[in-house]
Amino acid sequence: MLIEEERKLEKPLPASVRFVLGRGKYVDDIFFDNMLYLKIVRSPYARAKILKVNGEITGRELSASMTSVGEGATERKTRVNYPVLATDYVSYVGQPVAAVIAEDIYEAEDKAEEVEIEYEPLKPVVDPYKAIDSEPIHPNTNSNVFVDTKLGKDFDESADVVLEERLGCERIIPNPLEPRGIVAHYDGTRLTIYGSTQSVYSWKEGICSSLKLSPEQVRVIQMDTGGAFGSKGGIYPEYIVAAYASIKTKRPVKWIETRLEHLQATAHGRGAYADMKIYARRDGRIVGLKADILVDSGAYPVGVAPWAPSWIGYQITGPYAIEKVYVRARAVYTNKVPLGPYRGAGRPEAAFFVERMIDMLSDKLGKDALEIRKINTHEGKWKSPLGLEVNDARSFLARAARQLRYSSLKRKRGFGLSFFVLIPNLEPGESARVKIQDGIVRVWLGGSSHGQGHDEFARRIVSEELDVPMEKIYFENSDTEKINRGVGSWGSRSAVLAGAAIVEACRKIREKARAKLGPRFKAEDLLSFEFDESVFFKPEGQLNSLGVNVVLATKDKLGFGRISKIISYYDAGNLLNRNMAVSQVIGGAMQGLGQVLSERAAYNEDGQLVIGSISEAGVLKISATPDFEVIFDREKSRMPHGAKGLGESPTIGVPPAAIRALEKLAGKWFTKTPLTEEDILLNGG
Amino acid sequence: MKVKVSMVVNGEKVERVVQPRMLLVDFIRRELRLTGTHVGCDTSSCGACAVLLNGRAVKSCTILAVQAEGKEIVTIEGLSKGGMHPIQKAFVEKQGLQCGYCTPGMIISSYQLLSSNPNPSEEEIRKALSGNLCRCTGYKTIIDSVKYASKLMRTEKRK
Repeated sequence: MLIEEERKLEKPLPASVRFVLGRGKYVDDIFFDNMLYLKIVRSPYARAKILKVNGEITGRELSASMTSVGEGATERKTRVNYPVLATDYVSYVGQPVAAVIAEDIYEAEDKAEEVEIEYEPLKPVVDPYKAIDSEPIHPNTNSNVFVDTKLGKDFDESADVVLEERLGCERIIPNPLEPRGIVAHYDGTRLTIYGSTQSVYSWKEGICSSLKLSPEQVRVIQMDTGGAFGSKGGIYPEYIVAAYASIKTKRPVKWIETRLEHLQATAHGRGAYADMKIYARRDGRIVGLKADILVDSGAYPVGVAPWAPSWIGYQITGPYAIEKVYVRARAVYTNKVPLGPYRGAGRPEAAFFVERMIDMLSDKLGKDALEIRKINTHEGKWKSPLGLEVNDARSFLARAARQLRYSSLKRKRGFGLSFFVLIPNLEPGESARVKIQDGIVRVWLGGSSHGQGHDEFARRIVSEELDVPMEKIYFENSDTEKINRGVGSWGSRSAVLAGAAIVEACRKIREKARAKLGPRFKAEDLLSFEFDESVFFKPEGQLNSLGVNVVLATKDKLGFGRISKIISYYDAGNLLNRNMAVSQVIGGAMQGLGQVLSERAAYNEDGQLVIGSISEAGVLKISATPDFEVIFDREKSRMPHGAKGLGESPTIGVPPAAIRALEKLAGKWFTKTPLTEEDILLNGG
Repeated sequence: MKVKVSMVVNGEKVERVVQPRMLLVDFIRRELRLTGTHVGCDTSSCGACAVLLNGRAVKSCTILAVQAEGKEIVTIEGLSKGGMHPIQKAFVEKQGLQCGYCTPGMIISSYQLLSSNPNPSEEEIRKALSGNLCRCTGYKTIIDSVKYASKLMRTEKRK
């Protein structure tokens, strides 16, 4: 294996050092001698019949379909088949229809121009609410509504105050700086996949399933991964085509996404709407909540689309003790790229919906933001009617208010507060392997680091558990050949689960070392023997954590509202690396701010994406960076290393607080993200 | 049709026969295999492909290799020829990166800034990096890194 040989030659430097030196090894940095380049030919229409396709690789030859793998994967069967390459009709702009391969990417682009496809355009279904009653976009279905679930019990309530609102988070494009990419290499017997991925296991499962390969035939190796935010956990048609093309030609095949392809054909996130209704007493106590949630799933039931509606519904009460809850949760097909996870995946949507209603109630009753939240919390453990566990929200909120200096901050005009719960995705667990050989400790994790610095926390845990110096511990990227079973990095799970798996693997090694070396062995003794332990850590119960954000807004020189400061108070458990945790919080806060200020996958009524660059997608620039303050509530969890989830907290907590700060400054009421420039133009200019 | 193109990259003269339409970034990455320079967009928005061309930071996806004929190029790999550059050290120390993909471009843009302005204000740092996108860090630690790099470079100069 070329990659492994190269890795051995180079003394493994910490990832951050390799990256500043330009010595990262991303998937596009792989060059095999006889490598072919793949180019995908995509639909220019949101909805059309395919009349004719003449191209090198088409759906007639590669007749395969996609399976649901990765975060939010479902085994639920639907009648809608997601073809790898469309044959009869296309359902979104950017959908793969044909593919070409060539010796060079420039030549592949020329060949792609020659592919002939004839379409008969149809009227697309774009608006998710209109989709409910529109003609079905898939011919073998009778409705675009493909998920319609009820959660909790319906109730009648005559309360002092009843408030209703339609709220929404429009679609966002994940936009990691490194686009998606794959190199597939079939050598005549086995297929080796190199990828930019959050999960080598999901990729393996998806590729085996689509191409009917046995698990022994496929190995997936993670390359350095330049960000993902949910977009690289699942499987995409291009990966299946690349694998197929390599099997067909017995040559390595590379496919690297262009940014325009990313905007059009990588699963978007958010895209959720809710009709919210709350019933409250005059003192501010909410006695009942109803939500009618609608998820804009895009064209196919993959990614998080089938799972998102009830997942959002499950946590719709946030950290609050609301005794009556009734949710209707639906997902509809629209002629857009399928919906996928985006940092937070359902959690930010639920928090946005409930926090907006709390703010509305606060305005209605003239109650202070903290007071209205406090009265709706429970002292001690609380389990919502839908099963969500929240631990002592009242005392957490009180601690947060003290630490954040709430009473002085709340006097500012552009002030927003949010309170939320983070549910890490713990199911079904995660793996780690720790191996000692030739005086070196190597660590592999089941999930794949894509910017969260897994190497830092993994090496630190090993160093503490085995009492071995950091420089003797090497972190390796994930590889299906190195650990049999694993899951992936998403849902704020890696530090919690993979961290716990590392602790257990190290403790097993210590046990064996004690048996071999006696009770008082030293690090040098340990390193002169061989040990190899793999652990799949299965957690029990929920491990939810709480967080509070305060966001401040001021008027800028041009008369627009701008965010000047974001303060976070998060329950992060025992911190494995404080700097890394702060950096995660700040980066995520900026993404949360992007959701409020500018990020939007905007389609026109023809189903055409009307943005053509990463800038137009609204990714924030350095000029938008406000001041940050990050404070951790560090109560240890019951995990062996005391960790809790954190990565998604800022994308959950920042949007509701930021939109509140801007609306207070502007004297308006906002119901959806992102805001427009007109929204934040303050009176008097 | 192919054409001969030659330039000096990281202090070494290189010569290749390439398609005239080849972008400079592809020349650097594919012909020279200097893969520290990255491609993040196709619209010269992100700055991951920034290199120094005759001492000035340029986005190497916006020019053709043939336009760099006879010019002097420095890539991220070239900055550390005499050991890790203070800017590189500062980005590690102040955690000015997470996934590392935008990092080489950020460092090249910072290098251009600090070459002409050894002690920039925060406003000047923001302006100099306005053509570089980062999706992970929220830019805060990048600003800290550049401030720290400026301090390191000034201290080094005084020695």
